[in-house]
Amino acid sequence: MLRQTCFAATSKRTFSTKLSSSFPTNTKPAASVLLRPVVRNALVKDALPGAVRVAAFHACGRRAILPPLPQVIDGTANDPAPVPPANPSHGSYHWTFERLVSAGLIPLTIAPFAAGSLNPTMDAILCATILIHSHIGFESIVIDYIPTKRLPKTRMLFWWGLRLATVTVGVGLYEFETNDVGVTEAIKRIWHA
Amino acid sequence: MASVVSPSQTSTIKEPSHNPEAKTKTFHIYRWNPDEPSSKPRMQTYTLDLNKTGPMMLDALIRIKNEVDPTLTFRRSCREGICGSCAMNIDGVNTLACLCRIPTDTKQDTKIYPLPHTYVVKDIVPDLTQFYKQYKSIKPYLQHSAPAPDGKEYLQSKEERKKLDGLYECILCACCSTSCPSYWWNSEEYLGPAVLLQSYRWLADSRDEKKEERKAALDNSMSLYRCHTILNCSRTCPKGLNPGLAIAEIKKEMAF
Amino acid sequence: MRYSGLQREVLSLYRKCLRESRKKDVIARPHFKSFARTEFEKGIGLDKKDFAAIEFLLRKGQRQLEMYSSPGIKDIR
Repeated sequence: MLRQTCFAATSKRTFSTKLSSSFPTNTKPAASVLLRPVVRNALVKDALPGAVRVAAFHACGRRAILPPLPQVIDGTANDPAPVPPANPSHGSYHWTFERLVSAGLIPLTIAPFAAGSLNPTMDAILCATILIHSHIGFESIVIDYIPTKRLPKTRMLFWWGLRLATVTVGVGLYEFETNDVGVTEAIKRIWHA
Repeated sequence: MASVVSPSQTSTIKEPSHNPEAKTKTFHIYRWNPDEPSSKPRMQTYTLDLNKTGPMMLDALIRIKNEVDPTLTFRRSCREGICGSCAMNIDGVNTLACLCRIPTDTKQDTKIYPLPHTYVVKDIVPDLTQFYKQYKSIKPYLQHSAPAPDGKEYLQSKEERKKLDGLYECILCACCSTSCPSYWWNSEEYLGPAVLLQSYRWLADSRDEKKEERKAALDNSMSLYRCHTILNCSRTCPKGLNPGLAIAEIKKEMAF
Repeated sequence: MRYSGLQREVLSLYRKCLRESRKKDVIARPHFKSFARTEFEKGIGLDKKDFAAIEFLLRKGQRQLEMYSSPGIKDIR
């Protein structure tokens, strides 16, 4: 969760600075984020004596990681934008699956606590669904903020990094379920601790 | 035209006013002149007496252009919210200048920018080429193989016509698309709320015969499914339409 | 000499302009050529690190080229 918010915040900052030179940035939250490094920088400078003034992490001030590209128009202004080929497994089927998983999570989360009984099968299903759900969520963050056209290598890095993370978490959950008490029981114990 | 002051000489232009009852309001307007491409964009301040100005933002802009600074550039046409030319960002909200009242609170300054995340042509004129190209890519016209049975027009029932209410009113002012964060990041591939609303307008039309082709054109990870129901589009629409709902309807239609 | 990406884009735009001018009528060709030249010379004083300005002018140039290359435009003065 923390990683998600951090990532979203940094990406938003980089992207919203993209218009700094020739177009406006007038989203207020983004502006406040932009101002913060400057303020912190000023504080650092006040606190440190001149000799030990080390360039802090934010010392560079406003610098876009992904600066805006010049406007590119495919063909002439009168041609329609290209239509990508149909790919339902990334389009409609993907969306339907995602919604089913999200909707299915609600009863799965309530069931063990409502029933009061612990069933390892239900526990395993719950873990697997949460894992798939978060994988899809992170996947769409990667698609949103790392465009394939501009950063193909970074995109691939994050893509495989995410898969690796999902597999690691999956293995971890399996170990937790088989060798330890299991997720539901763990939450119960923490709750009553 | 009372006085012509070039923007390079000054950044504040005051209206000569000696009336103590004058309700002067300050407007900060984004300026950038393409004839001096190496100059940076800046904000220019104008003050107007609201008693002598019409009630809408567009009236104020036209008055500034006529009486104070003729170099101010903006698009406008119908001044009644039907052409969609005067879309701009006023006080942080994308709206049509002709449908936006000037806030009467004279202590609050008003800030006017072009539509966010667009390439600027001049001052508050955005470049909407990509937006129109995307609109063209969804084939916004009736696709029908056979000629109409009566040789004149295709007919539809009243109920079928009712489905198009809330869709056909869209004037393509691009307020919603440029308020959508998803469109900011991926405007190359994601179509954006305005174009998707139009897409649904043709999907919902009973007379159109190419529904499957239309759906197939949207069936990929970028065109439609970058919508994360942020719903800035529905909040900002100056015509009171609901692009978010239309996108949800498309998703539902395509789901099974 | 190796050119930067932006320089190459400018050169390719100029080359496109010349190529398009060759499609025009023989009498009008020098007019189009000299027009393209004067348009490019207007930006000669630009700082080469002023990317935003150069990119804007490239954009503008592309649009002008698209307009002037239409066969309906016969001559330019």
